[in-house]
Amino acid sequence: MIREFANWFRRKKLESGLDRELRYHLDRNIADLEKSGLPAREAHRQALLELGGIARIQEEVRDVWLTRWLRDLTYDLRFSVRSFRRTPSFTITAALSLMLGIGATTAIYSLVDQVLLHALPVRQPERLVLIDWDGDQVGNFFGSWNLMSYPICRDLDQQKQFFEGVFCRALATVDLSTGGDYNPVTAEIISGNYFPVLGVGPAVGQVITNDDDRTPNVNPVAVVSYDFWKSQLGGAPDVVGRTVLVNRHPLTIIGVAAATFRGVDVGEIPSLWIPASMSAQAIPGFNNLLDRRTVWVQVLGRLNQGVTLQEAQTGLQPWFKAMLQEDTRRAGFPVITAERRQEFLNSSIVLTAAPRGHAPLRRRLSEPLWVLFAVTGVLLGLACLNVSGLFLARGSAREREIGTRLALGASPWRLGRQLLADSLLIAFAGGLLGIAAAPVAVRTLIAFVPDGTAPTGLHAGVNSRLLLFALFVSVTTGLLSGLAPAWQTGRRSLVSSLRERGGTSFGGVRLRKAIVTAQIALTLTLVVGAALFVRTLDALMAKGPGFVTSSLVSFDINSLRDGYSPEEGNRLIQRMDEAIRQSPITQASAVARNGLLTGGSWNNHMTIFADKTIATDGLVNLNAVTPAFFQTMGIKILAGRNFDDRDVRRPGDPLWRSAIVNETFVKRYLGGRNPLGLQICQFAGPDAKPTTEIVGVMADFNYRGLRDQSAQAYFPLYEGEHSSGTFYVRVRGTPESSFASIRATVRSIDRTLAINNFRTVNQQVERSLNTEHMLATLTGSFSTLALLLSSVGLYGVMSFVVTQRTREIGIRLALGATRWSAIWLVLRDALVMILSGIAIGLPFVWALGRLIASQLYDVKPSDPAAIAIAILLLCLAGLTAGLIPAHRVSGANPTDALRVE
Amino acid sequence: MSPSSRFPIPQGTLDMLLLQILSAEPAHGYGIAQRLQQISRSVVQVNQGSLYPALHRLEQKGWLSAEWKESETGREAKFYSLTASGRKQLAVEKNSWVRLAGAVQHIFNEGEG
Repeated sequence: MIREFANWFRRKKLESGLDRELRYHLDRNIADLEKSGLPAREAHRQALLELGGIARIQEEVRDVWLTRWLRDLTYDLRFSVRSFRRTPSFTITAALSLMLGIGATTAIYSLVDQVLLHALPVRQPERLVLIDWDGDQVGNFFGSWNLMSYPICRDLDQQKQFFEGVFCRALATVDLSTGGDYNPVTAEIISGNYFPVLGVGPAVGQVITNDDDRTPNVNPVAVVSYDFWKSQLGGAPDVVGRTVLVNRHPLTIIGVAAATFRGVDVGEIPSLWIPASMSAQAIPGFNNLLDRRTVWVQVLGRLNQGVTLQEAQTGLQPWFKAMLQEDTRRAGFPVITAERRQEFLNSSIVLTAAPRGHAPLRRRLSEPLWVLFAVTGVLLGLACLNVSGLFLARGSAREREIGTRLALGASPWRLGRQLLADSLLIAFAGGLLGIAAAPVAVRTLIAFVPDGTAPTGLHAGVNSRLLLFALFVSVTTGLLSGLAPAWQTGRRSLVSSLRERGGTSFGGVRLRKAIVTAQIALTLTLVVGAALFVRTLDALMAKGPGFVTSSLVSFDINSLRDGYSPEEGNRLIQRMDEAIRQSPITQASAVARNGLLTGGSWNNHMTIFADKTIATDGLVNLNAVTPAFFQTMGIKILAGRNFDDRDVRRPGDPLWRSAIVNETFVKRYLGGRNPLGLQICQFAGPDAKPTTEIVGVMADFNYRGLRDQSAQAYFPLYEGEHSSGTFYVRVRGTPESSFASIRATVRSIDRTLAINNFRTVNQQVERSLNTEHMLATLTGSFSTLALLLSSVGLYGVMSFVVTQRTREIGIRLALGATRWSAIWLVLRDALVMILSGIAIGLPFVWALGRLIASQLYDVKPSDPAAIAIAILLLCLAGLTAGLIPAHRVSGANPTDALRVE
Repeated sequence: MSPSSRFPIPQGTLDMLLLQILSAEPAHGYGIAQRLQQISRSVVQVNQGSLYPALHRLEQKGWLSAEWKESETGREAKFYSLTASGRKQLAVEKNSWVRLAGAVQHIFNEGEG
């Protein structure tokens, strides 16, 4: 096989070799014959006769070189290219249709591959597992998803019968200076064996090893990412040994990580890696590295060769149980109730395969991406059908040629193959164009994925996996779109094709109508899907977050990262709050402990002490805000009062004396009781005591995101309690014009302070809706393309049908039919296709609705308005496409029409 | 016997004959044709034209190797020679031929007996 392909490339050389060989044979034979007494001419004739047909020998030898089918294929392709050159408009339309389909599919696949499928570029990623704690860790949590403590990671690393190694990591935003200003960047804080266990080496210098992570605070080193080195450090060759300032602590760069390695989370790419021994410097105020109850790192391990995940999980339990027992006896283990202690002791360890690392982005994007992938699949199907229809149309035009070839003895199979070669060639052309367009499309797609401080690792490059995918799609497309025309040719009987006069026949029309009907059915599902997503986005935008967003600006300050002590930080936040409130551009301003609409929240189960003690069954979202918060945000206090001086904490008070809860909290948990005056506790469990009084009820608004309908409880944020926070400022004039003024106010207090996430709240709302935006925009554009494709298909068939019926319609017109009845005659045909397409499509719409239901908001998958709009759009587009040829034929002069034959 | 009364060569045996001829020494196409004619004179008829596709097929299969070198007339000619795997193939084909011929002979004998 490979030999045959290789021969194809050196066929010139082979040919000349054969020529020489045959020439030698002839010359020798002629010489011998002459020697035996024959005259020269006769000898020549005799020799040629004995050899018998040089051309035939050449043909047979070529068959040996290339095999029969490969030779036929090259002939087919050559013939295809020639015929495509003759009909450029056909070729361009077909190739562009496929380009749209293949390009869109490839682009979405690129994201699917990067986010959902791609394994980490490390040694044997299939042996990586995520290790998680199932049960009550009796811990203090920092962060979210699959967390454990650093000492437990070290213990796990000792379980050498199961693991080659176990490492841990946590992401942290740090303020970084490479000499100039401080900028927030993402750092991955890692145990010393992170790089060795993953099997990732340095591009320059060395990577962090266990030696850098033995004793806290003594190894001020960092490894920077390849991208950071190239973009921020100019790829300096002398990077090793340089000092960078991380939260004002100097760290020495010891190396640059391998170019392909971007951490274990595709959603957030760290710029640098810092050993856990330096976590106190990387996370200000954190000094619980060796505390077994401080839960903040994700733990991943590499299984030993030959150890299965299940074996390791089962095998680890005895050790784990013993460790739990030992933990309860350790000094510093909190005093807890017997019940909670039992829960702790009942914990188990859970392993999940993690060849793709650990990425919250995957959780968030996987469903939308699969939906989009399905949508592009449908679009590709449409493009295939379109090309099929075009080929069938061309097939009818080539009736004569094909009839002649059949008559001359070509087998239907051979002709079908020729048509298949045509469609494969077109598919490859479309595929190449699609691949060329894909990077642009992927870049547009990536723009929908919001960047935090850390860039996402998504890129628009075309790699070999993508090329392979596009090749696969192209071949499949080629085969599928060639199937119908090839089948049609195979079925055609010789007699009928010769009997038909003038090369016009109805052959293929029925098939083409079926194709258009299928196109309309597919288009309907796409248009309904798009309508649903657009309505979802509209509904969310119209609803808003529940507070007034216009003229509202927000930004975060984290003073500890800028070198402040907690006490100094408190004073800084207080001073800034006052300065901003007094600024002339400020209408109102407030500080919240946690920002809104960021996707995250501070949350906990709570306890309510009413006539009986109620533990909330779900998490309650918590926040702490200054009294001005409700007025600044335009949030109504529905009952009770706002925070005031009565809520200021006095020495000896519990952390939060009072709380304001939202309506949902009251509805969900209080069951008609009067909320005011009720005592609550900010956590649940046996230790919960009534510490906090509900003093007010606020209107519902969104915390995590616009779909959020959670119960919320807010505490007062007073002076001297926080060193970081999100500022909300309602400004006079446009928010954009206030940026400089607010920045100046902040800088007047501390020139070097890092201002994070400085944006208008409207921008924040949009960021929180980017998945919905992506779905609405993309399905919208895809269904527009689908409409276009099926209109073109319908137009093609109708033009053909009209040509077929010109004579009939001419007679009707001559006999006195009106123009309108002639138009109706044609349109009726189109309408039948459209309506049957819609009828076939409706069950698919129902199936699609189930698939996307979880992505929708305030609209049912079977929303009649969306379906009605889609049907209307389809009918409109379809009838327009049908009207053009109908109009043309109705204007025909009856005499001309009759003369068409 | 006139040429037309000769047997056409049976399907599939040409390859074996070519391998057999080349097992003695390397030869070029014309030489092989001559040898075939000599050896099988008046029994089988080998069409010279079918010689070359067969040679190329055997070369493609790796049973023959070919090189251009000076022939007895001083002109360059393409000489074919048997490769190690070609030698093995020849043994296999000879063996099966002998067995087939033996079996056919046996059937004839039975019929006569």
